[in-house]
Amino acid sequence: MRKQSSALKIKTNVPSIEHKEYTLSNGLRIILSKTGDIPMIAVNTTFHVGSKDEDNNKTGMAHLLEHLMFEGSPNIPHGKFDDILNRNGGDSNAYTSWDSTGYYIVLPSNKLETALWLDSDRLTGFGVSEESLRIQKHVIFEEKLLYVDNSPYGTVEEESSVRLFSNSGYKNPVIGNMDHVMNTSLEEVRKFYEKHYIPGNAVISVVGDIDYDRTLKMIEKYYGGINGGSIPVRRDHSDKYLTSEVREKIKDNVHLEGKFIFYRLPEMGTKEFYAMSILNGILSDGDSSRFYKELEYNNELVNEFDTNLYGMECSSLFGISAIILQGKSAALTEEKIDNVLEDIKEGNISDHEIEKIKNKVETYFSAKKQSIISLAEKLSYLKTFYNNTDKINFEILDYLSVSKSDIVQTAVKYLDRNKRLVLDYIPVKNNN
Amino acid sequence: MSKSKIEKITTAVTLDRSRQPKSGKPKDVSFPGFFETTTDSGISVVVIEDRKLPLVTSRFIFKTGGYADDQWGKKYEGLASLTTELLTKGTESRSATVIADEVDYLGASLTSGSDYDAIYISTYSLKKYFDSVFAIAADVILNPAFPESELNRIKEQRINSLLSMSDDGDYISDNIFRSEVYKGSPYSLQSEGSKTSVPNITTDLAREFYTRYFRPDNLIIAMVGDISPEEAMLKINTELNFSNTQKTLYPELKSPEKISGNRVYLYDKKGAVQSSIKVGHLGIKRNNPDYIKLNVLNTLLGGNFSSRINKNLREDKGYTYGSRSSFNCQRFCGDFSVSTEVKNEVTADTIKEIIKEIKMLRKEEAGKNELKSVKNYLTGIFPLQLETPNAVAQKVLSLKLNDLPSDYFNKFIKEINDVTPEQILEAADKYLHPDDMIISAAGNVKEIKDMMKQFGELSVVEEQ
Repeated sequence: MRKQSSALKIKTNVPSIEHKEYTLSNGLRIILSKTGDIPMIAVNTTFHVGSKDEDNNKTGMAHLLEHLMFEGSPNIPHGKFDDILNRNGGDSNAYTSWDSTGYYIVLPSNKLETALWLDSDRLTGFGVSEESLRIQKHVIFEEKLLYVDNSPYGTVEEESSVRLFSNSGYKNPVIGNMDHVMNTSLEEVRKFYEKHYIPGNAVISVVGDIDYDRTLKMIEKYYGGINGGSIPVRRDHSDKYLTSEVREKIKDNVHLEGKFIFYRLPEMGTKEFYAMSILNGILSDGDSSRFYKELEYNNELVNEFDTNLYGMECSSLFGISAIILQGKSAALTEEKIDNVLEDIKEGNISDHEIEKIKNKVETYFSAKKQSIISLAEKLSYLKTFYNNTDKINFEILDYLSVSKSDIVQTAVKYLDRNKRLVLDYIPVKNNN
Repeated sequence: MSKSKIEKITTAVTLDRSRQPKSGKPKDVSFPGFFETTTDSGISVVVIEDRKLPLVTSRFIFKTGGYADDQWGKKYEGLASLTTELLTKGTESRSATVIADEVDYLGASLTSGSDYDAIYISTYSLKKYFDSVFAIAADVILNPAFPESELNRIKEQRINSLLSMSDDGDYISDNIFRSEVYKGSPYSLQSEGSKTSVPNITTDLAREFYTRYFRPDNLIIAMVGDISPEEAMLKINTELNFSNTQKTLYPELKSPEKISGNRVYLYDKKGAVQSSIKVGHLGIKRNNPDYIKLNVLNTLLGGNFSSRINKNLREDKGYTYGSRSSFNCQRFCGDFSVSTEVKNEVTADTIKEIIKEIKMLRKEEAGKNELKSVKNYLTGIFPLQLETPNAVAQKVLSLKLNDLPSDYFNKFIKEINDVTPEQILEAADKYLHPDDMIISAAGNVKEIKDMMKQFGELSVVEEQ
């Protein structure tokens, strides 16, 4: 009870975000939020399709399609999308994850209708040419070289996911297998598009300097006439946890040894997910954190460390990374990491430590939502994955209601050595 | 919050998707007002009050950064940077651990960093903790202890970080580019230090740097968010009393040497599957009156996704995931560069295309439509840079640091709109030098060396 009241008290200090929600009869879900001080709007359209929804023999489709959605649609010829946007004083971008594909447009608010016109055209039909497909395959090939093959420790994502997941589409990297990508035909892309890019599989959020009624009418005008189609059936994404520790040594073109440890946890939005988020803060947020003191400050073992909790639709991943100082021991680093985790599991967490992270949560929730682009993205995300946009104002309570015993139970159950993956990145000996 | 299911759909009959919809009336964009003053001790203060969120940021900028390392010589490059890092690692009354514990417990942050031009310290917290956080920041600024043990730790970390950064082709290519373009000037030094200089840095040197440059007349402060000018001034006047109030003496600046003819520098990054390329030459300092024209020119050439270079290299040829050009404008001098990452076999072709695009800009006037599009883009997205009080503060501080007038951004949109195709051509002629460039590439030298000879005198750079 005490916890709840303190959380509610904090709530009154954290400014809330006004928003409204609608659904068109073709299934398109709409979130509108009038906010911000600048005369601009952001439109985010999120499709509930990511790399995990791909066929194991045809990976990289969601990401490839994202690239191609800038290459022409029935009424916007190749090369015109960004030209039109720029000419009107706007910009755009897009992203693909394991679970979704999102697009955004920003424009001055008097150009809202242009944003909806451009965005909705993507849903009216497939307008990509063979030539665009050919070029974007090469662009993606270079993207993979840049961020994976030529990047220090760049292969961690693909080396880990393939070992952590066996059934679900999470075992494939988002960018896909390059053989698959390079051999994809336009017909295959079109089929993927037709299956997933339908109003019922999408959420559109419009945020910024808007008038609710006029914006809704405009959305009806541009999206209302688009056929609903049938929502794609999702494959099974359940996956067994590892039952014994998996270890792998990987050679990389780097100077310093790297250690990457992964544990799986229940999906985002669960009690365990929020408990782990608070623990994540205790472990690595700031120079007072456990890992900073243990790995970097007191024992001087690492040059860099980080921990991340990746919340996904059907699973979560907790990753610890440590880049080892030259001449220091990776094995000892692992031992120190394990000691910290064992200490947590034994219940050695102070109230002060938990309060510290909750103070950070409060600062974080007070500050975010200032950018219309990220607010539009967040609203689309909450609707897509939780069907609950009120979380924009109330998710802070999920964090603040985490108790010490929630943290300990989650750590005991999931930060289990027998269920983890350890990747050791070993420097290749080069002449230089 | 209302939820409603809309049953009636407007019929699509009247909708002509082939035409761009008409725009509404544009709204005026104005740069937010701010408070500015100078204290008796000479501190320049800016306050941007915005009460919507219960947050306060304070930023402290000392107008001397890595360029000042030059007074001590290349042997000590990295001094400003290490001195900065030491600030939060102990004061006369607080150890590094105490500082971290106090700041973290408040859910706040206290960060420090430096570049060539300045040293930056900032705090960020909820309003209710601002007094406590500001007190720690003031302590860090006024009473740093420069502990030996902390410096030793930072030095070992820095040497390892330098090693680790050298795994990244772009980092290497940038470094070679910088040291050649700015040769002879303080901007050619490596501001983060090098593996030979870092061991030479001592707490005595850090203290010397601190004594010379941490003076009130060398300081700009911005207070941003849930705070009034009165509150801000009270804090500064009561809690930030420098014992050293002498006037700051600035070092004399040496100019970079002139480059003539294209010169190619390659770094052999074993096992590289892409070349990290950076091509360019000296540019302008931030307060050059042609800055706005060059901003338009650069956007057209390589500043955004639809720019000429990105369209050519990515959208037409599929050579790269992305390419960009930029004028990096610092306080006393700057550079112009185009950078990208491409696979080994198209490295030379990519450079040819870059040179071609630069030459084209010097030869032919940009089309009216193309220029209009660039200007609309720059003015259209300008408000996004004013979205938060901190973003506004960033802009105001850049004016203060670079000796630009306070009303600079009020005229920004008009000045962009006034740029003509003739001015772009003139600016290209004056500021782009495609025959006198530094061409640096980190990649697989065995595979790219022969094809790179065509661009000029070639050297292979050894590991630094």
